[in-house]
Amino acid sequence: MEALTWTGSLGTILNPILMVLLALLAIAIIAQMILGFFAPAQTLQSNPDGTIAATSGPLGLAETAVKYTFLGVLAIVVAYLVIPQVMPYGSAGIVGEMTKRFLPVWISLIALYTISIVYKRKLGLYGKLFDSTVGMIGFGLVMFWVFTALFVGIFDMIATHDYLTQVSGLKNKGPGVPVPEGTEGLIPHYLLGGDNLARDIFSRVVQGSVFVIAIAPLATIFAFMVGITLGLPAGFYGGTLDTVLSFIANLILAFPVILLFYLLVTPEIVLTGIPSYMAAFLFIFPLIFFGVLLNSRYYTQPAKRTAILVPVLGVLGWLYLSIINQKGTVIDFLPAWMDLFDISILVVFVSVVFVNAPTVFRIVRGLTLDLRTRDYVAAAQTRGEGAWYIMLWEILPNARGPLIVDFCLRIGYTTILLGTLGFFGLGLSSESPDWGSTINEGRKLLLIFAHPALPPAAALLSLVLGLNLLADGLREESLKD
Amino acid sequence: MQDDTQPILEIDKLSISFFTRLREIPAVMDFSATVMPGEALGLVGESGCGKSTVALGVMQDLGVNGRIVGGSIKFKGRDLCEMTPEELRDIRGSEIAMIYQEPMASLNPAMRIGKQLMEVPMIHEGVSEKEAYDRALEVVTDVKLPDPKRMLDSYPHQLSGGQQQRIVIAMALMSKPSLLILDEPTTALDVTVEAAVVELVKDLGKKYGTSMLFISHNLGLVLETCDRICVMYSGEAVERGSIEDVFDEMQHPYTQALFRSIPLPGADKNARPLIAIPGNFPLPHERPQGCNFGPRCDYFEAGRCDAGFIPMEPVPGNDRHQSRCLKFKEIDWNTPIDVGAQTEKPEPGQVVLKMDNLKKYYEVAANALFGGGDKKVVKANETLSFEARESETLAIVGESGCGKSTFAKVLMGLETATEGEILLDNKSIGNTAIESRDTKTVADIQMVFQNPFDTLNPSMTVGRQIMRALEIFGIGANDNERRERMLNLLDLVKLPRAFADRMPRQLSGGQKQRVGIARAFAGDARIVVADEPVSALDVSVQAAVTDLLMEIQREHKTTLLFISHDLSIVRYLSDRVMVMYLGHVVELGSTDQVFAPPYHPYTEALLSAVPIADTSVEKKHIVLEGDIPSAMNPPTGCPFQTRCNWKSKVGGGLCEKEVPPVRMLADGHQIKCHLSDADLADMEPVIQIAAE
Repeated sequence: MEALTWTGSLGTILNPILMVLLALLAIAIIAQMILGFFAPAQTLQSNPDGTIAATSGPLGLAETAVKYTFLGVLAIVVAYLVIPQVMPYGSAGIVGEMTKRFLPVWISLIALYTISIVYKRKLGLYGKLFDSTVGMIGFGLVMFWVFTALFVGIFDMIATHDYLTQVSGLKNKGPGVPVPEGTEGLIPHYLLGGDNLARDIFSRVVQGSVFVIAIAPLATIFAFMVGITLGLPAGFYGGTLDTVLSFIANLILAFPVILLFYLLVTPEIVLTGIPSYMAAFLFIFPLIFFGVLLNSRYYTQPAKRTAILVPVLGVLGWLYLSIINQKGTVIDFLPAWMDLFDISILVVFVSVVFVNAPTVFRIVRGLTLDLRTRDYVAAAQTRGEGAWYIMLWEILPNARGPLIVDFCLRIGYTTILLGTLGFFGLGLSSESPDWGSTINEGRKLLLIFAHPALPPAAALLSLVLGLNLLADGLREESLKD
Repeated sequence: MQDDTQPILEIDKLSISFFTRLREIPAVMDFSATVMPGEALGLVGESGCGKSTVALGVMQDLGVNGRIVGGSIKFKGRDLCEMTPEELRDIRGSEIAMIYQEPMASLNPAMRIGKQLMEVPMIHEGVSEKEAYDRALEVVTDVKLPDPKRMLDSYPHQLSGGQQQRIVIAMALMSKPSLLILDEPTTALDVTVEAAVVELVKDLGKKYGTSMLFISHNLGLVLETCDRICVMYSGEAVERGSIEDVFDEMQHPYTQALFRSIPLPGADKNARPLIAIPGNFPLPHERPQGCNFGPRCDYFEAGRCDAGFIPMEPVPGNDRHQSRCLKFKEIDWNTPIDVGAQTEKPEPGQVVLKMDNLKKYYEVAANALFGGGDKKVVKANETLSFEARESETLAIVGESGCGKSTFAKVLMGLETATEGEILLDNKSIGNTAIESRDTKTVADIQMVFQNPFDTLNPSMTVGRQIMRALEIFGIGANDNERRERMLNLLDLVKLPRAFADRMPRQLSGGQKQRVGIARAFAGDARIVVADEPVSALDVSVQAAVTDLLMEIQREHKTTLLFISHDLSIVRYLSDRVMVMYLGHVVELGSTDQVFAPPYHPYTEALLSAVPIADTSVEKKHIVLEGDIPSAMNPPTGCPFQTRCNWKSKVGGGLCEKEVPPVRMLADGHQIKCHLSDADLADMEPVIQIAAE
């Protein structure tokens, strides 16, 4: 088997065109910038037929040039993604093979976007997202990784080789290297080469997405539960409660995060049971949150309240006990048949929730301070509503805008945090495929072999960038109407 | 030298649109107006009619979405639309100045007043700092601010709202502009302060010879300040002319309907109720064909009024008086008002609510963080005593800081009284916080709030919110019964049942306020505290909401505590009036007693301050000096002594030493003043309707 080149036979046609277009685009952008300095300022005036006058002259020409060359570049990129789907194996190079591997992801993305754009006026804030280019790009990047994680994690698609199998002779080999005859795998090449233990980097990167996509949103949700459940009363009641809670939040925020992580995962500390107790404390908040939420809403109808509350709390309680109950730790009292799962990375989970919760707390507290002065809060008070009803049903839903934006940003932050944890090897096994660990592995020989560290770094970057762009788009769109 | 025959501002067939992602929204259509030198033009209309957009168009400040799509705006003969940004910058602030509604938002909080004022001539005329300072000092003296030197040295937050607005006016006048645009300049101010600011604007306009474009929703205010008026409706000017022509010989059905919906002296809730304009203000993209006012107009003629574009037509015989109505020559404008359903005045029943020497003090620690230091006492309510009867309307009148909101909070149970008692059916509730009141008591006393945009939870459907109140008050056995009752409540406030599933943002201000009323009556409330329920609404909607409240009151025999600062509406609907100032009840009596001499000096000033949109009304002119003192630091003796015009009549400095005792003047008419009976008897009525 021959090694794959980057773009194969497709590249011989497309590469030169792409190069020319990129060069033109660069020239056009520079020309537009320079001309922009000298161009006369425009006054707002539209033509009688309702159109608005376009810029003319050299500046207008540069603007048009930028627009069309950019579209041209975009078309070539799309060609790189689409044409390989109909080409035989290997002829489209590494890029071609990768786009083929991601085919289910492309199909899902196209389906999702088509449906969303068609029904965007009926979908509220989510639909409005599709009016903002930035938001659409961000959402696309995020959903790319979400779908990748889904197909890898659930259907075992996309990945080409087992992410732990080492194949002798492929150690630190570059992208497109052929695997020896008889090696198990869907294709006879390592698309992005092998790492220093001769494992397939492509498979490890897509496998790593499962870890991030599963943990980051979940941990952020837990952090939000904690932050909301404490932030609402702090902002609503104020006074001593607020002072005490804010002080504790400041204390946690003032402590160096990395040091905290190191402390939490030190075996001696784990033995004392501190992480387990912290888990027991932090993970009870969703229980409190939903309990209070439903009780305050339905307490006037006891029968209905009980009918809803008992199953919800039952399921949540069971999940809660299963999460905190870990074999071999201080909290190990459930009989094995009741313990649904053991999370091996409980420590990672606890740390991430612990450092995120205070920031959420402060945001929620600030929003509550503002919203509690509204007339509808006073109206609820004058009809004798309880404090928790007011907090959870009158104030919280109206604080959702900023909270949703922060949620997206915070998932990005959590992703980076998980990467950091992996990079330092905290709380994760050494062969874990998560991006942080992989980057750390690759870092060691970075000057000689750059290819093992770059793909996970690019993956991490694109996901976080996507989340940030998504948050930007949401913020922008939620302000418009 | 300026040519006096050439207009300062000439707006010709101006059309302005805003472009959203859904559609183009025409905000102003075919709007023409001329302002001559030294003339003041009033621009009147309800919110959303495009009057502020016209002002922004003149300033060429329409934002990213706004575009002038037709017509021209000529300022001293030059078209503003064709100017470059540099030329516009040159004109803004020096030739055209604008005064906005919120004084605090117009001043830079991080800059001393003097600096901000001096900037204007320094930028536009390049004068030296010394000269700019002198001019700032002169202008600040002109706007009648005490101690101008100290004013120039202070920051905006150190001044009161009225003082801030005076500074904004001073800033606008710094460069002696030829055109001053005032966009609702007094809406954020208290009535007595508003009267003083309006007086000032009028005087300065004369002194500097400035032309003014005065934007307001208040017809009375325009009557007092302007020479000419332009009435706008739904993006179009519908009628324009001189004040006398438009007020006395109106030639457009909308203007007529507008005047019939405001409570002028002489209106009475039983004998001559207000006539609300039927229907709703059309949304900009749902405007009807032909006449925009057509669907709400009494004189509407299908096939003619909805046929096509209707131009402005001059009214023969009057000076520059025009009307946008096809039928104005046919309508008999002198037909007497069709008096609506007259109702019997309900007899007040037994006493339901009784206040006995109610006091509410707040303790404010001087050092908030550690709680140490001296404690200051804010006396929000001082010895409040009164009774309220069944199916009676008691108006509580006063300006901000007078303690009316605190009183409402104590009554509702959100705060407990410091001293004294509130008796509901002879049961004391003054010291019971709302958590410990029983459901019946809570449901009996309910409140209607001021701000319609804030009174409903924006993320819950209208029906859900009313049903929640029903749930809390324990009404209805199950959701179906409650839903039925909720729909009945919507019927009660005359809203379509389909509104139950709407979100509050889909409702207009008046509709939201109706939902607020429905919610208050969910538990068959017997006492309803209405905290300025209509002050944030447009005049035509005000009338409808007020009448609705009156109608429900008649049916349910509700006791209505109507908190307001608007004396015209108080006079129209209340049976008894209580005037409050700095926590004290200064006057209490039946409506006729309070609105006729003898007055308390504060009531007299308040009455004089309210603008009345009727040219036949003659008002005594009383302008109060200064601002309302802070409740943190009230004056010694009589609370009103710092601003009282009658103080000199009381000898021996009694006003500064002692709080006046409560005196009974007539049956049920009490007053808190040191003035002798002879002085009180000397008082003349403030408002007189000229003989017709």
